[in-house]
Amino acid sequence: MSQEIAVIGSPEFTTGFRLAGVRTFENVPDDRKDEELDDAVERTLEDEGVGIIVMHEEDLSHLSRGVRERVEGSIEPVLVTLGASGAGGGGLRDQIKRAIGIDLMEEDD
Amino acid sequence: MAKDVKPTRKNLMAIEDRIELSERGHDTLEQKRDGLIMEFMDILDQAQDVRSDLSDDYETAQRKIDMARAMEGDVAVRGAAAALKEHPEITTQSKNIMGVVVPQIESSKVKKSLDERGYGLLGSSARIDEAADAYEELLETIILAAEVETAMKKMLEEIETTKRRVNALEFTLLPQLYENQEYIEQKLEEQEREEIFRLKKIKAKKEEEEEEAEAAAEAEAVSAD
Repeated sequence: MSQEIAVIGSPEFTTGFRLAGVRTFENVPDDRKDEELDDAVERTLEDEGVGIIVMHEEDLSHLSRGVRERVEGSIEPVLVTLGASGAGGGGLRDQIKRAIGIDLMEEDD
Repeated sequence: MAKDVKPTRKNLMAIEDRIELSERGHDTLEQKRDGLIMEFMDILDQAQDVRSDLSDDYETAQRKIDMARAMEGDVAVRGAAAALKEHPEITTQSKNIMGVVVPQIESSKVKKSLDERGYGLLGSSARIDEAADAYEELLETIILAAEVETAMKKMLEEIETTKRRVNALEFTLLPQLYENQEYIEQKLEEQEREEIFRLKKIKAKKEEEEEEAEAAAEAEAVSAD
């Protein structure tokens, strides 16, 4: 099944991706992120045509706890965050710590 | 708990069978867990490379689009972005790593030539083209990152469940089974000892009775004389 890439974030963040042809996007202005980002992410998660969600790492902090956990743990669509400081985004680091027992991404700091 | 089982030989045999099966399962699961962790380490290396590529590409793309915005204005960039006709698509296939199904994502129409972009050649400038180029490259890295990170997430889940199963067998089920086995063995031994003691008692009583009967017979014989 062919799927698309979705971008969620401020208009400045999404414009570049639209320039590369991404047509599924949610524009949420910076000052409205606390109220509207949750809904935008939920809408995108429910869209079956979306295979990858691209977000800025900092935007994750605007999400409510439940939505954040859902999007971080989601496999279809999978979340890819940008702007992180190298260490695996999307809660991956915590998951590794829990499953393996050691923080394998420590060397990245 | 140990007191719940009936101390019979049949139960003992059943428990011994279960212990054998659980131990075999425990060994197999342990091997699976170790194998999964090894595979995971390979993917982790790959993921870290992709991650660093991703942040490099993102920085480049951002710089390019900032430049385009500064030189051409935000409206021109947005206009060009809205004019795109070709859209990147991804198709997912699956691959099996030790029983874990991980996706293999293939993309199409990410890299586009100038005339495929749809915003025209005259209406835009080289800076917008460059920004679009950079973002196309970023998208390709994102797709790769998505593939690797999904594989990682799935493998981590599998590692977690396998680990839980190994621990449940090692620290809950097996000790309980051993405890039951010991309990039944002890109970059976005790029953055996009781049985022997009872037999001895009966024997002793019989001998006593015989002696008494003999003594009575003798006494009768004496009195008859």
